[in-house]
Order: sequence, then structure tokens, then C-alpha cells
Amino acid sequence: MSTLPERPLTILIAALGGEGGGVMADWLVAAATAQHFPVQSTSIPGVAQRTGATTYYLEIYPVPTSELGERRPVLALTPSPGYVDLMVASELIEAGRAMQNGFVSPERTTLVASTHRIYTTLEKMHMGDGRIDPERILGAASTLARRAHLFDMAALAQQAGTVISAVLFGAMAGAGVLPIPRAACEAVIRASGKGVEASLRGFDLGWKHATGEATERPAAQIKRWVANPSERVHATLPVEVQPFADEGATRTADFQDAAYASLYLDRVEAVAKIDREQGGGAAGYALTRETARFLALWMCFEDVIRVADLKTRRSRVDRVREEAMAKAHEPVHIVEYLKPGVDEIASIMPAALGRAFEGWAKRRGLRLQKGLYIRSTSLTGFLMLRTLAALRPLRRASLRFGIEQQTIDRWLAAIRSAAATDLGLALEIALLGRLIKGYGETYQRGRENFLRIMATLVDAGDGREPAARRAAVRAAREAALADPEGRKLEGSLAAAGITPLPPRAKPIQFLRKPPARTSGRAH
Amino acid sequence: MERLFTEEIEALQLGEGETFHGEGILAVTKGLLQSGVAYVGGYQGAPVSHLLDVMVQARDYLDTLGVHVEACTNEASAAAMLGASINYPMRGAVTWKSIVGTNVASDALSNLASAGVTGGALIVVGEDYGEGASVIQERTHAFALKSTMCLVDPRPSLPHIVDMVEASFELSEACNAPVIMELRIRACHVQGSFATRANRAPAISARAPMAEPAAFLYDRLAHPPATFRQEKLKSDVRMPAARRHIMARGLNEQIDGAHSELGLIVQGGLHPNLVRAMQQLGLADGFGESQLPMLILNVVYPLVPEQISAFCASRRAVLVIEEGQPEFIEQELALLLRRAGVDTALHGKDMLPLAGEYTAEVILRGLHRFVATHGPDIDIAAGTRTLEHIDALRTQAASALGTGMPPRPPTFCVGCPERPVFAAIKLVEREVGTPHIAGDIGCHALATFEPFSVGNSILGYGMGLASAAAVGPAMNRRTLSIMGDGGFWHNGFLSGVSSALHNGDDSILVVMKNGYTSATGTQDLLSTPAESARAAARANSAVHADQRIEQTLKGAGVRWLRTVNNYRVGDMVGVLREAFTTAEGGLKVIIAEGECQLERQRRIRPILAGLLRAGKRVVRTRFGVDADTCSGDHSCIRLSGCPSLTLRDSGDPLKVDPVVQVNHACVGCGLCGEVAHAAVLCPSFYRAEIVQNPGLIDRLLWGVRNRVTGWLAPQ
Repeated sequence: MSTLPERPLTILIAALGGEGGGVMADWLVAAATAQHFPVQSTSIPGVAQRTGATTYYLEIYPVPTSELGERRPVLALTPSPGYVDLMVASELIEAGRAMQNGFVSPERTTLVASTHRIYTTLEKMHMGDGRIDPERILGAASTLARRAHLFDMAALAQQAGTVISAVLFGAMAGAGVLPIPRAACEAVIRASGKGVEASLRGFDLGWKHATGEATERPAAQIKRWVANPSERVHATLPVEVQPFADEGATRTADFQDAAYASLYLDRVEAVAKIDREQGGGAAGYALTRETARFLALWMCFEDVIRVADLKTRRSRVDRVREEAMAKAHEPVHIVEYLKPGVDEIASIMPAALGRAFEGWAKRRGLRLQKGLYIRSTSLTGFLMLRTLAALRPLRRASLRFGIEQQTIDRWLAAIRSAAATDLGLALEIALLGRLIKGYGETYQRGRENFLRIMATLVDAGDGREPAARRAAVRAAREAALADPEGRKLEGSLAAAGITPLPPRAKPIQFLRKPPARTSGRAH
Repeated sequence: MERLFTEEIEALQLGEGETFHGEGILAVTKGLLQSGVAYVGGYQGAPVSHLLDVMVQARDYLDTLGVHVEACTNEASAAAMLGASINYPMRGAVTWKSIVGTNVASDALSNLASAGVTGGALIVVGEDYGEGASVIQERTHAFALKSTMCLVDPRPSLPHIVDMVEASFELSEACNAPVIMELRIRACHVQGSFATRANRAPAISARAPMAEPAAFLYDRLAHPPATFRQEKLKSDVRMPAARRHIMARGLNEQIDGAHSELGLIVQGGLHPNLVRAMQQLGLADGFGESQLPMLILNVVYPLVPEQISAFCASRRAVLVIEEGQPEFIEQELALLLRRAGVDTALHGKDMLPLAGEYTAEVILRGLHRFVATHGPDIDIAAGTRTLEHIDALRTQAASALGTGMPPRPPTFCVGCPERPVFAAIKLVEREVGTPHIAGDIGCHALATFEPFSVGNSILGYGMGLASAAAVGPAMNRRTLSIMGDGGFWHNGFLSGVSSALHNGDDSILVVMKNGYTSATGTQDLLSTPAESARAAARANSAVHADQRIEQTLKGAGVRWLRTVNNYRVGDMVGVLREAFTTAEGGLKVIIAEGECQLERQRRIRPILAGLLRAGKRVVRTRFGVDADTCSGDHSCIRLSGCPSLTLRDSGDPLKVDPVVQVNHACVGCGLCGEVAHAAVLCPSFYRAEIVQNPGLIDRLLWGVRNRVTGWLAPQ
């Protein structure tokens, strides 16, 4: 008996509720049982079946029971850090979590993980970009795991028409740690009787990618840049900035007209001039690049005219069909959820009229918000939206157009003035453009935050050190993006010595106290 | 019900000498049938739901044995069921999630334990403790102590668990006390195998009914003066009998080891983790052969003083490995050893943590300390290296990752009808201010996580409304309480509604009427819509078909009662606003109607597949977000949190923030669009209706529209 292995093979599987992790654990148990190996699996599902993180833990003693006589190994119910042979994660940050908990060790652990992301709510709800940097996790995996097999198994599952557990099972088998031959794993899938062919296809893809027989295609370039740089951009702007300015010029022309695009380039060139004079080349003209970026987005603000235009383009219908995975012969109807209110209507009115209308609605307490369900693929719906889009030439006279140009000019003036002495500060001011986005309350809030930072930290040229000013503006921007209620922004401003605004008043519903109860009840 | 147990029901019918493969809790179920159980009841909850679920689904087979199964509406009614074993020699078993279920059951349990049982009475509790637990962290042990019931904590290998089920009935009958068997989460879900025995039909059952009730016997009533005698019986007769039986049957296991100067006393359930820890210390092999002597307590109450002192007497030091607090076993051991004049050093919670799960790593750390202190000659260098390795590994991982991984708590399912209610609450808060919100147990408790972060307190299942009773009068805004329909029938109607009505409380109650106890696996309720209503509703919600909750509320005297379709967020906001602002006093109840999406999807999937196969026209609905107009602010996610609402790179070289997309998990419930409307968020949401198997008219109209719009639309 001295030749018996000292310890079982230990396998920890981290999955998300509803991904079929339990099915995969059952497959493994069945495959090990078919080899007559002592095997035990257990799990922590709990309420995690509702899409939360969940784990399965297995131990396989790789000796047939016939060779063990009456003896049976004692198999543990909990995984131990540093004691896991095969760590499997169905999603990238679950692999990160396993590493964080010490379950991946360079001496022992083979890590098999899918690199796709299913974002956590905390990452998704951020007002800007709260996503974890995947490179950190991939980097950690390469140093912490004995061997790492990392590839996008969700994509392979889709390719095979199956669920991720089948691909994971194939990848585990292909990673060369399991004491179970491939055929035995496939036999278990066959015996399961449900979706067998698709599962086997998924298993095969997982196997091939783990053994290196197949490799991932590099991710498609998703950014769509404009193809041909214009002569003017080419002639006047640094090469680092050109793609952004090209994109911006194309977009502003599409938004309004050629003159508007020309105005865009005038504005960018004015910043580029100072950037050059101040030696911005050393920083890759980051100031001009970021100004070009946020200026284009800002100048193409999404008013009703723009939205109606974007919603009725042929390319858009094609995109919806693709996303909805409609087959070529299947008609697709699109219903738009629109809810224009006083603000949206006033914003496209001529400035004076718009202001009067806003004032009137405010006095009457009207918001006029009516939820509309417009079928943009029907003739009436389509024509209605096209009519709105056709108002484009009148936009230049509209209330919102005037307001936006005014604020843009104020922002650009601040950038130019700061750039004359401190390119870093100017860049921080340019990046404030990120706060201007969205619709309705989101837009209002972003705009208020922008104006608040401009008024407190930018316009007031206080005696602070340049580095401190840069840091204060950056901190304020990050705070504004971190909290929809605006409390963090005020906290950040307070840290920079600005008296915070009083918190916004919350309505209080005063109840009439119920009359003192008369003792009408029998005691 | 969420899961079908077809194969498992077959496994329950295995005969003599066959092999059962499966989950721990189902092995217990098979063990019950092998023990000739006459009746089974309980209330579902992780980790023991499957025991009851499989029994409910196996009713046809159980009828052939005469075993009665009752899906009780709470643990108190389940515990009271065991009353059958007081007067009649019937073996009965009930199950629930502990500690919470035992709390609810405790009144009936006290009475049962006082009266004592003739037929074996077994309570199988899922000890919901440690990783994956969803309830407060307390020990069931306390209940066994205070009511003098036996407590079994079996070494979790399937053959042994099954043996202990049968042994527990014998123990119960030998000492006339109920027996609790506690199984930890991982033991309930452990997959393994055991050799089966034939099931035994109970002697008294629906198939072999009794002719007459038991004769009147005052001693069997938990009522004075009998209760005084019963208290004496517990200590003078029942527990001595239990101890004799434990010794006679050898229910606890002793393993000898080379280092006889030391000893370990361990709860049976922790045995595998202890062996793993010893292995890592270099003091055991993988087969449980240990160099340290070990006493495995499969019965953790009552302890047998002779057994304990005999194990400890000749040793220098003993370590008690006992999970959870307080350290009941260790305390009793100290008393027993002191009385017996045994001066062996006793350790336990001084070397192991007071709180938290005893994983192999936790035990390893405590054991390392114990051996280092009392066995300086024993080589534990392997253990020292392991511990250093683990610490280094975590440090290395933390620096390589740079940042902690965000938590991933469970969340409402895609298309869940409860999510819109919380979106509406967040919206109405902007108008009427933030109210005190009393949370409750059920799926809706997931609203305590991001993005909603809703709820000021949770006081137990069905207790939300009652927990707000003293808050309302002390506040100028009405309180809002949440209750599921599961909680309503479990005890929320009695503890919450009737008390609020009785006292004329002015507050608001939202009852989530989704039709099932969804959090535990969509088991049926009293008010679950009838099978025919569900079939008729197809993909739509069927819960309006059953009005028992509304009738109950009206009958009890609720005057302000509104029913709202959850997915109409605007309507829900309106009704909530009215509830918060109306001059009408008293309890205001909003029935939030929307059938559990899991059940709806389960029902509709085969129907749709059938229609598609038959070439019938089917309209599939999907929601989407236009990347062009999405500004990447993600307020829709903050108001909905639907798992199918996620992020992607915008594809726009200028935009830095990711935009929202609806992924393929979308079931087309429409909440995202409704929220965008109700909160006036943005114009990016659209609904796509894909006509599958389109008819001639579909195709004609589509062709015409395409021609015209294609002509007018820019690229």
C-alpha cells in the first residue's frame, strides 16, 4: 500500500448561479465513479442560484476502489488554500477571487478560467467606467498559477450552441490534470441524454484550446475610426490628434453642417496652437486630443432632432436586427421608448420662444411628460421621426444650441488660459467634458456639477500651487462621477477648501396624527 | 417547483443491496424510508429543501407505502406534526432550515420534548452556518440543551449518515425524547454513494389505519401538573436511557493513535476537515489513520460522562473541536472532568476561533498551536510550512491583483417581477422623501444589495410589518414594509397584519404576490394559482387568478387595498405616492402582482418550442439600447440592476465610458424601458419584436414598409 498517493486530487470550481456548474460537478463525479475512483463533491449554492457567486468542491482519489481493499480515503468538504490542484473559474473575476483567497498556488494549481466578463452590479452602476482592469487578473494568473489555461469560453460555448459548463469540462479534461481519459468524460456527456451533440462540440472546443490544438482569434477591433483624414486636419493638427479630430469633424458635419465642422476644427486648432507652444508634444498632445474628443461629443449634443435622426437610419435597423438575432426572413418591428417633456420641447424652440414656454410651464407646474411608444418601423412612426429630424437646419436658432455654445466657449477659454501656464491643469479642465452627457435629470446633474467645478476651482484663479489645483480638479471630477447624489463632489470640494452647498432639501410628508384612540375595544 | 426529481424518486425506491448515488440530503430521505417512517413534514429552505421537495413529488410512490407527506406552511406546524408520535408508535420526521426554522418551531418543540414520544421523532435540520449561509449565525445546539432533546451530528459520509438516520429513530424510542440531526450546508449537498436497504412500510399508516384513538393519559399532556413530572423524567429516566443506548450501540467512534498523551474530541460533522488538517500537519494519512487519538461525537448531546472521562483520563491534554458559539460541549466537558477529578488540560475555543466556520485551514491553525504547546517532541514542521505558505500566497495574490475583487451577491433574476417594485420605491422616494423601510425574508431581501440598497431592518420571515410598529409613530413619514406571499402565509399575516390592524397602525405594506415561495425553489403556497389558471395564462402572469390573500386582508378589515401590475412602474409609483400622501389612516396594503419569472419561463419555453416546430407564428420580444444615443451614465442600471442589462465598449472612438447593452438573457419583461420612461432617463431603449415564422401578411407589410423607409432613410 506504500505506493498509494498521499492525497486526493482536489478541484475547486467557481461559477455563477444558473451557469450549469452543478451539472459539470455531476459530470465529473460520474466520470470518476465510472473509473471506480473514490470521489466526493459538495457545493455552496444557497441563494446564489440567483446569479450570485457559487462554488463546487470535489476530491477524487485516483486509485480504483478494487485496489484499496476495505480502506476508503477521508475526503474533505472544504477547499484549503494552497491545496487545490485544479482551480476552475467560469468568469474572469471569479478567477481573481480564487487567487485572492489563496486557492491558486505556483507549486500546485492548474488554473482553467474563462476570460469573458460578467460585470458585477458595482462595476455596472458606476457613472463612468467602474470595470475592473482584466489585465491585472491575467497578469496575476500568470505568476500565481503553476499553469494557466485562459480563454473566452463563453464565446466558444456560443459557437458550439451550448452552455459554458460543457466548454469548461473540456478545458479541464484538456488541461492534463484529471486522472480520467477524454473518452470517459465524453461518455458521461453522452449518458446525460440532453443536448448531447452541442455539449460534445463545446467539450471539444474547450479541450482543443486547453491543449493548444486551437488558439483564440484575436479580438476584433471594435473602434470604428473614420477612414480618410481630411486635408485640413492633416495640415494643421499633430499626428496624435488627427484621428480624433477627423472623427469629430465628420460627426459635427453629420450633426449639423460643414460650417459647424469648420467651427469644430477652429476650436481644436486654437487649443493645439497653445499646446504646441507649450511643448505639449512631449505628452503626445494629450490636451488637444482630449479637447478634440470631448468637444466633438459636446457639440453633437443629443436633442430631439438628433435622436429622431439616429433612430431612423438604415444602419440602425440593421444593427437592431443583428442584436436581436433575427433571421433574414423574419420581420422585426421596433418600438421606441420616448418621453419628451417641457425641457426637450423648449430646447428645440427658437431661443426666446423656448424661454417663454419654459417659464410658462414652470409657473403652471407642468412637466408635460408623456411616455410615448413610437413604432419607428411603421410608416406613421417613421415619418414622424423623419419630420423631426428634418428640423436640423433650424437648430442653430434653438434655445439649447445657444446655451451649449456659450458653455462650450467658456470651457474652451478656461482650457486655453490654463494651457498658457500649465498644460496639466488645462488637461484636467478638458477632461471635465466627461461630465456633460445624458438626458433629462442626468444631463442637468452633470451640467450642474460641471458648472460648480468651473466656478469653484477653475474660474477662481486662487493662489494655490499648480499641482494642488490639478489634483483638486481631478478629485472633483472623479467625485462627481462616483456619486449620483452629488454628495461626494461637495465633499471633494470641501477638501479643497470650498464651502459646500447645503444638501438639497428632501420633501417631508407630514401626516396628520390620527386622533387619540378612544377605548372602543373590549379589554 | 423549480426542480424535477424524476431520477431521485427512482433512487428512493432502490431495494436491498443496491447502490444509491446522490446528494446527502436525499440519502437522509432514503434513510427515513428504510427506517419505516410513517409521516414526513417540514418547511423548505436551504440546505434541506430537497428532502421535502422530493417527498412531495414522490407522493404517488409514498402512498403505496402509506407514508404521509405534509408540506407545512411553517416550521411550527411541522414541529407540531410530531405530536403524532406522543401517543402512537409511529416514526415521524420533519425538516427545516436552522437556526431560523427551529426558532419558529420552538414552542411546539418544547411541548413535544416535555411530553416525550412513543414513536421515534426525528428533526432533520440544515445547519445554515458558515460560507453560503443566509441566516443569522447561531447554533441549533442550544435548543437540544434547553428542551433536553438528543442532538446528532453525523460524520458526513453517506453510508454513515444513513446509518445514523436509522440509529436516531432507535435512540428516540429508547429514551422517549425527540432527536435532532444537524447537517451542515456542505454535508447536505455532498455527493456520494451507499449500499441501500429495502424501504419499510410503517405499521400504522393511511394504508393500515388505527381503529381508535389512544386512551386518555394525562401524563402525555404538556400541561401541569404533568409537566413537573416530565421535567424529572428528562433527567432521571430519558437522558440516562439515551446515554446507555449511545454506549450500547457505539454511536460515538474512538480512533487510537501513537501519541496517546494527547487527544482530540470532535463533532462528527467536522471529522473530514479535521483529518485534512492532520494530514497537512503530517499526523494522519489520507485514510483517517491518525497519530493523535480521536473521539468522534456523532451524538453531541447528551454526552456520556464515562466515555468522556475514560478518553481523557490518561492524557496530558485534549483539544475540543467544536464549531460555533458558545462552546457548549467544551463547557460541559470541563464540568464533567472536574467532577470526575480528571486533571487533563482542556483546550478548545482558547486555541480555535469562537466564531465562524471550521474549515480545514481554521482547524489546522488551532491544531498547530495545540500540538506545539503540548507535544513539543512531535514533528509538525510540515504544518508550519503550510501555514507560512498560505499567508505568503495571500499576500502575493493581493499585490498581484492590486485591488480586491468586487463582491457578487445574488440578485433578482432576469425579468423578476420584484425588481420593478424597488425601482418604483427609488423613484417615489424622490417625491415623498426616503421612508423607513422594513425588509423581510424572501427574494425581495435581495433589494438590500446594490443597486437598490433598500431596507432598514430584517427581523425574520414575515416579520417586516411587525418590526416597523414602533418606528411609524416616531416619524413624520409613513413607514413602508415589504412582505412576500411566502412570508404572508408563513406568519406575516398573523404577526404583522393582524397586529397592525388591531392597533390601528398607520403604515404601508407591500405584499409581493409572485405566487410561490420563490427563494427556496418556487414551492407552492396556499395562494399559488391553480394549474388550470397557469395553463391559461401561458407566458403572462397567472397570480391574479387566486384572490385568497386579498380576501384574507379584506376579511380581517383592511380598507385601503390596491393591486398593481408590477411591470407598470409608473402605476406603481402612483399608488405608492397615494399611499404615502393619502389622509386615510390605518394600514394601507399594496398587492404587487407579478408571477415569478422562473415559473413563467419554465411554463412558456416548451409551449414556444412546440409552436415554432409546428411552423406557427411566434413574436419574440427583446429589449435593446442604442449605442449611438446611450451616453454611458448607467442610471438605468442604478434603477434596475437587471442581470441582462450590462456594459460593453461603446465602439465609438470618442466615448470613453462603456455603454449599456441588453444581453441575450433578456426575457422581454420590459422593465428597462418602463424605468427609462418613469424616471425620464433617456431615449435609448427600444423594444424589438421579432416575428418568427411570419405569415404572408407579415411579409407583405414588411416589404412595403422596408421599401418606403429604405427610400427615405439616410444610411
